Amino acid sequence: MTWTIGVDVGGTFTDFHARNEATGKEIVFKRPSTPHDPGEAILKGLEEMEQAHDLHLTEVERIAHGTTVATNALIQRKGAPIAAVATKGFKDLLEIGRQVRPHMYDLNLDKPAPLASETMRFEVAERLNWQGEVVTPLTDAEATKVAQEVVNSGAEAVAICFLFAYLNPTHERKLRDAILTLKPNMRISLASDVQPEFREYERFQTTAINAYLQPLLASYVEQLAKGLTNSVGSATLGINQSSGGLMSAERTAAFPVRTALSGPAAGAVGAAHIARDAERPFVITLDMGGTSADVALITDGDTEITFQRDVAGFPIRLAMVDIDTVGAGGGSIAWFERDGLLKVGPISAGAVPGPACYGQGGTEPTVTDANLVLGRLSEAGLLDGTLPLNRESAISAVQSIADRIGVSLEEASLGILAIAVSNMSRSVRRMSVERGHDPRDFTLMAFGGAGPLHARDVAAELGMSEVLVPPAPGIVCAQGLLVSDQKEDFVASVRLPLTEGAMSEAVKTISELTERAHSWFKAERLPEGGRSMQLSLDLRYVGQNFELIVPAASGPNLTSDDLPDAKTLVTLFFAAHDRAYGFHDKNAPVEIINFRMTARGRLYDPSMKLEYEQNARLPLPEKTRPVWFDNSEAIETPVYRREKLRPGVRFKGPAIIDQLDATTPIFPGDKVEVLAEGSILIQLNGE
Amino acid sequence: MRELDAIGLEILSNALKSINDECFVALMKASYSTNIKERHDHSTAIMSANGELIAQADMSLPIHVASMSGLMRCLLEKYKSDIHEGDIFVANDPHTAGGTHLPDVNFAAPVFIDGELVGYVCNIAHHADIGGMAAGSMSGGMTEIYQEGLRIPVTRIARHDEINQEILDIFLLNARAPQERRGDYYAQIAAAKLGVRRLNELGRRYGAKLLREGFQQLLARSANRMALALKEVPDGVYQFEDFMDDDGVETTDVVLKVRIEAKAGKLTFDFTGTAPQTAGNINMTLNATQSAVIFAIKSLLDPEAPNTQAVIDCVDVIVPEGTVASAVFPASVAGRAHTCQRVIDVVMGALAPALPNLVPAAPNGANTMAVFSGIDPRSGQPYVYLETIGGGAGGRPTKPGKDGVQTGITNTSNLPVEAIENEYPLMVLEYGLAPNSGGKGKHPGGRGIRRIVKPIGHRCVFNGVGERFRNPPWGLAGGENGGRGRFAMLDQQSNEAPLPGKTGDRIIADGGAVLMDSPGAGGWGHPKN
Repeated sequence: MTWTIGVDVGGTFTDFHARNEATGKEIVFKRPSTPHDPGEAILKGLEEMEQAHDLHLTEVERIAHGTTVATNALIQRKGAPIAAVATKGFKDLLEIGRQVRPHMYDLNLDKPAPLASETMRFEVAERLNWQGEVVTPLTDAEATKVAQEVVNSGAEAVAICFLFAYLNPTHERKLRDAILTLKPNMRISLASDVQPEFREYERFQTTAINAYLQPLLASYVEQLAKGLTNSVGSATLGINQSSGGLMSAERTAAFPVRTALSGPAAGAVGAAHIARDAERPFVITLDMGGTSADVALITDGDTEITFQRDVAGFPIRLAMVDIDTVGAGGGSIAWFERDGLLKVGPISAGAVPGPACYGQGGTEPTVTDANLVLGRLSEAGLLDGTLPLNRESAISAVQSIADRIGVSLEEASLGILAIAVSNMSRSVRRMSVERGHDPRDFTLMAFGGAGPLHARDVAAELGMSEVLVPPAPGIVCAQGLLVSDQKEDFVASVRLPLTEGAMSEAVKTISELTERAHSWFKAERLPEGGRSMQLSLDLRYVGQNFELIVPAASGPNLTSDDLPDAKTLVTLFFAAHDRAYGFHDKNAPVEIINFRMTARGRLYDPSMKLEYEQNARLPLPEKTRPVWFDNSEAIETPVYRREKLRPGVRFKGPAIIDQLDATTPIFPGDKVEVLAEGSILIQLNGE
Repeated sequence: MRELDAIGLEILSNALKSINDECFVALMKASYSTNIKERHDHSTAIMSANGELIAQADMSLPIHVASMSGLMRCLLEKYKSDIHEGDIFVANDPHTAGGTHLPDVNFAAPVFIDGELVGYVCNIAHHADIGGMAAGSMSGGMTEIYQEGLRIPVTRIARHDEINQEILDIFLLNARAPQERRGDYYAQIAAAKLGVRRLNELGRRYGAKLLREGFQQLLARSANRMALALKEVPDGVYQFEDFMDDDGVETTDVVLKVRIEAKAGKLTFDFTGTAPQTAGNINMTLNATQSAVIFAIKSLLDPEAPNTQAVIDCVDVIVPEGTVASAVFPASVAGRAHTCQRVIDVVMGALAPALPNLVPAAPNGANTMAVFSGIDPRSGQPYVYLETIGGGAGGRPTKPGKDGVQTGITNTSNLPVEAIENEYPLMVLEYGLAPNSGGKGKHPGGRGIRRIVKPIGHRCVFNGVGERFRNPPWGLAGGENGGRGRFAMLDQQSNEAPLPGKTGDRIIADGGAVLMDSPGAGGWGHPKN
């Protein structure tokens, strides 16, 4: 019983990364996805792996799964009909939102319609004040009356969000119980459970999404768990959360909204793992696929976490790996805007018809076509020649761009790439510069099918000096799942002045949070040796409306004694304010808004390194091909197979490194080293 | 550096957007006031050395664009060649410095590459108070600009990167909540300095000459693009008029009138016949009228067109001086957003026969504003809480209008109910859609928003400014008019006493409450279809 398997389900492929915990042997496997039932590809893939490799499914101990079921259900609006229940006077909160429209000028573009239509929105006579004290009690009669209305509405799931209930959940719970009395199997999401934090609209929306996804995700994980029991036996199933940690199937059924960014989060966690192995603690990741590129920041070996972002046009306020997505992928189409400027993306040729060079009927010029014209991609294509590319089709597609601008074919191709790169650079700037980080202090890690093709250009544009390409750029997500911790985020929204006098109240809150963490450790049966806790506070100046998350303490077993004194916390806040905003005011009073506790259980033992041979020998190239690195001329460039480059190999560009699922061009003068754990480190213009 | 062709210009324009967005976020984060941080009532832009708008942040507000370009015009007139590296300029005055109302404070900083001036970075932010006779500096009842707050002519506030603290002290002494103001001013200065640094870095990569040339080429492209869009308007003469309810002082049914002449893609907007400027503060300066016209044109014909000087200049706007749409000194202008909204309505109304498949029915046509102020009994400190309330959006030729949303010239967020009650001694009793306020139609108009707010443990002062309380948002193509807005005072038994649309200061007793309904919107198409 020694295998652990990470399974990442994408739109096109389902990726597997298996590792034998005893021997360290790793298996990588890929098969087409089954979008009608994503679980089918998982179960079939496991069987196929057993047949193709020396792996017995009965020996699988743990399966970690990244899923896009929630994301797709939101985008395609395929969740359940829900009822939404609010405090009397506030049933339209979901409709009004923040009262802003998504586009300043476009009169026809609306934000998505609320998940609960008008007839499915209900009100309850009850009210708490800003301190959580009852102003209007919720009577039994009122609870029963509204419960009946909700049940009669035909809703399959219910979201309940009352004002200030994050401070005092009794009314929300009372209504829940009243509904369950009438309909015991109703799925109910309470805002005070899903996201007990202040700001009613965001909390309500997050809760409504949770309810909307609940029936679907609950049956998905149930089916999957059942299927796994049949094929794998007793392996435990962990589902990846948007915050980059696993949760059990039961918790997934209760809090499906936490999987809204399950897939991309796995990529960032995988990247953080690779970054730690490669001893690069400060990394910006560029995960570029067919339609878009995800950019994330890793500082000090950990992914950055954000607490709000939009998914499918809905704001979700929960811990999520901080990822910026930009419409730049291999399939991004080059087109002329009305002012005649050339644009690349966000429209994409997708997988069907795909770029012109796929020969599946696409005629629009894409980023992949430009790469093929320039020789950076090979006509043999990806996946070891199973998907050959047609150079003639690429040329005729790009030629239309070249003709209109009046430049050569290669100039036009370089231009298409340069614009895609400038779009990605903007995204990197948003994630770094706008958050107070200098990209030049970071290594750029490129993965996804198209990331390694463009990372060098992005790095050069931003003045970065290093690019890191992981050993298997196409399955970083599956790898991330393999190494993920079990993780749970607890939050208590308690507003306190940050002064010595208020610390006793803070200690009380932290004791409650640690208690919740401990019961979670127990419930999830996590091994004691791998447990850890991290306490952070959301702090701000009194009167500000933005909080900064300041890590306050971490360790294997936190107690309230680990809380630093108020003076230390204020100093930490000043430093965070400096970093984020460039200044701090040492005289202005500071307050605490939220206490956050992250509990983790480590499930994975750090991998061993491959054998590193000082100055390992560079193998002979497979062949050479002409490649355009700039607009002067094509250079006859040696092509290497990735698997033949052993750790310790060093050489200088120009070169092309081909592998199963990615191509990495090495620019003339750049220096390459294969690291001990198998990643390729590229130093730009290295001496 | 790459040539300035369709590719090179796209890359340059991407880089300029990055700078504007970074400054926008920096200003938002570093500011103190809710107005900027949560409501995002601020904008950033890059100007050419001649003061032409080249690019702005994605989230910039249309009305701010006019103001920034107005500041540049006045700055260049006043300082001519006396502009140096390390200078920062500030202004807000509508009558002498290109502003549109006093709370919007503009900053501009020149950028030099190797001693050559290449352009300016600008930012503008709406300050929650700029002094004057009423908290928030926006309330009805003011009749001349002096009552509306501190007037700042174009002023050099920094030399050699050194802020003139004495000037800043004058600003702070003249505003309520000076601590918050100071934070916001510093945030604006920091954003300006950041913009200078970034444009300078970019300029050194391009060189001054190429960068200046790039600016001009972007303008030329933008001009061509707008010319293309304007050709969609069929030749003809189109007219429309609509009425503002009142100026809050003495005049009711203030007429706004436009005559649009379209000829081979050239459009002239003539506002002759528009009412004379009023004593009350609904007047607007010419550049605010221009930005409203541009808003209507862009949203109908090319919503994605980036805002540049060429967009601002793409049509001729004729407004006789001394009217509400081109007010002159000493007109009060604080409530100009309402008039701006109405200018958009009349332009849309006029173009409806020309572009029947594009023009929606009238939206809520207001910038419904509420200010609550008083002394917080919890702390003994004064507070000012300002909110602008969205309303209905007009029924469209293709679908119904949206309920409860910002329309036209503004797109600022609301403040969460829980934030209001945490920060101020107030309680929100109701926040929802105003019943029956959407005009009936084949595609109904959107509904307005209802808010009921009461003071807790003290008496407070309410100051509200509304529009379309008398003249409802019109329906189109057979659709019915939308619901009007209204303010009312509620006593403990919820008995209603109506309040005027421009209330001035009203004391709300402990136990009382204020009801605010923003207007709905007109429906499109006959309801029976």
